[in-house]
Amino acid sequence: MDRKLSEQSTAVLGMDLHSFTYLDNHAAVLHDIQLDVHPGSLTVIAGHSGSGKSTIGAILAGLLPRHGMDELIGSIKVDETQIEFSSSSTPRIDVAQWAKHVGLLPQDSGHYLSGIRGTVAEELAFCLENAGMPREQMLQRVNDLAQKLYLEHLLERHPQQLSGGQERLVALASLAMSEPDVLVLDEPLAGLDKRATQVVSAMIDLLRANGTALVVLVDSVGIWAEDADDLWRLNQGTLHRVSAAELLQRTAPSLHHRPVAIDAQILLELDTVQLSYPGSSGPAVRNVNLQLRAGECLGLAGANGSGKTTVLKAIAGLLKPNAGTLTLSGESGLLLQNSSDQLFERTVLREVSFGIPKKSSGRDRVPEVLAQLGLESYAQTHPYELPASARRLVALATVLIHEPQILLLDEPTEALDEAGEAVLQEVIASVLDRGGAVALSTHDETFMNRVTRRVIQIGQS
Amino acid sequence: MSRTISLHPFTILAVAVAVITVTTAASQWWLSCTVIGLCLLISGWAGDLKKLAVLSGAMLLPTFLSLLLIHGLISRDPAPAIAQWGPMRITVHGLEVALSLGLRTAVLVVVGLLCGLLIDKHQLVAAIDLSPVPPQLGYLLAATLFLLPQMGEKQHQIGEAQQLRKVGIGRGIIGWFQRVRLRAVPLVLASMQDAQDRAVHLSARGFPASGPRTRLRTVPDSSVQRGIRWAALVCAVLGPVLILAITLVGSQ
Repeated sequence: MDRKLSEQSTAVLGMDLHSFTYLDNHAAVLHDIQLDVHPGSLTVIAGHSGSGKSTIGAILAGLLPRHGMDELIGSIKVDETQIEFSSSSTPRIDVAQWAKHVGLLPQDSGHYLSGIRGTVAEELAFCLENAGMPREQMLQRVNDLAQKLYLEHLLERHPQQLSGGQERLVALASLAMSEPDVLVLDEPLAGLDKRATQVVSAMIDLLRANGTALVVLVDSVGIWAEDADDLWRLNQGTLHRVSAAELLQRTAPSLHHRPVAIDAQILLELDTVQLSYPGSSGPAVRNVNLQLRAGECLGLAGANGSGKTTVLKAIAGLLKPNAGTLTLSGESGLLLQNSSDQLFERTVLREVSFGIPKKSSGRDRVPEVLAQLGLESYAQTHPYELPASARRLVALATVLIHEPQILLLDEPTEALDEAGEAVLQEVIASVLDRGGAVALSTHDETFMNRVTRRVIQIGQS
Repeated sequence: MSRTISLHPFTILAVAVAVITVTTAASQWWLSCTVIGLCLLISGWAGDLKKLAVLSGAMLLPTFLSLLLIHGLISRDPAPAIAQWGPMRITVHGLEVALSLGLRTAVLVVVGLLCGLLIDKHQLVAAIDLSPVPPQLGYLLAATLFLLPQMGEKQHQIGEAQQLRKVGIGRGIIGWFQRVRLRAVPLVLASMQDAQDRAVHLSARGFPASGPRTRLRTVPDSSVQRGIRWAALVCAVLGPVLILAITLVGSQ
């Protein structure tokens, strides 16, 4: 798509930031940033987890600085209005008014949805309802937008019964409903399968073609590089303009695959396994056959909802097959898709030690595992205060501390930055080296190709 | 497949309140039984008979047992006993009191549960939103009705994660208490985090509304229903007063 913009077009959003400091922090998280966003443009900001991308997104969306708490020095210009921030004055921002110009879609798009509306149509109309728009006008707007974004088939669906991709589409459409000039999208394609990625990308193109400016915050620039008008890398708190080639050439090395001996021990075998959830009408997965030998890394592929997680849960012992046989030699350990569900304690150290008897040798391994994952400096930090990538690694540490013979990873690269992926790759190699095996499910094809020897499709007989 | 009722949620609630207050004030076993029977018939028509029976049973059985224990078995009532086992004695009066209180509680429970089954929760929230009460009230009710099931799901996920770490897998009542203790803190933390994450986006979407608000969802209403609601509210207030007055006059 040829949509490069001329420098002359007027910016709809401008930020001249000298520094931004969170409450109780002495050092500035961001400094010396100048950013202009033009109508219909695509600005991509790439940076590792914890680099400050979400902070930039929140500042652009008017959610930061929090009045009387954080300190921003600089100015932001929205719709011909320039707002000056200084150490002595932090103007209070009306978030609802700001959102009419700049909207933010969080990485977990479910958080954008109200969670209290019965249909997608009502969810789309939520901001219009709060604005007191007459019903007929609202109905017209919802139908027009749904038609424009090809969402008519979803209008009567319950928002909580949507797939991951559909949920993101609906959140994006809800965001677009108030017709802001700029949309800030935090990792809009994370965790989506190929088809959902295509649909969300098509919707983003459509919004852009209608003149909406987009600011996309990503870990790796991936598919955005080609279309981006402005490409930035956020490093050490400031933005550096970069070329697509420069960002794309940084690819991690592939895992060195040692050949798996034909007579290597079979650690896991599934023979015509069928799995169902309690209370469900039909099986979630049927006829799964697989074999995993010591030293092997196996990939599970399939669309969203095909049953990859179900298979991993069954191997980990959370689900019992209702047909077929599942044979396991040795302990398994599963990294769940959502790290937050796997964290319960108030420090990283306590978290990794959780459930291990006080006098067992496992306790002595805690510092070792933290060091292996580069988490030593976070030992006394609350897991919720960590950047997303480090939090994911803490969840991984809670699995590795039990030294599982079979390591099971559900969407392990989700929320991981490049450095985190490198650590994960080393962990996989170490499990294989000590005679273990790894089974993982991911939509990240690059990572899948890099680490797995063999990929099987779930959801196909 | 459950049938839904197309009445305005406030109409159902107003009639329910009137029925409960009048039946409680009347305290007649035949009236209570008739109301319960009618509720069962309506739930049968709506396709929710089994659900109503199970839920009511789960709530009423312990209530009846405790009432029977207090008034029927260990009552200090001086009336002659029908049967006696040591300190425990059954009197006719004690049984009558237990039955009367039990039936009144049963009306409250069965009518309340039937309302919960008949009223579409989204329609109820929309009706509250469209009424002149503060918008936070509608959200509070909606959050309670719709986010609680999500908390249940979250609790299940936390349980699975703890099971993977071989924690909280004990059996029996001790195991159950251990699971509750272990899941409570992460569940509260995760829910607070979730609420915090949602709150900023709700504000950005203009919630709570500063001016008048509208709803895309329509809640069917009519002048007849409005009349029924007023009549039901009058009954709910005046009915018990009238019954008490008649009882007083009768006793004099």
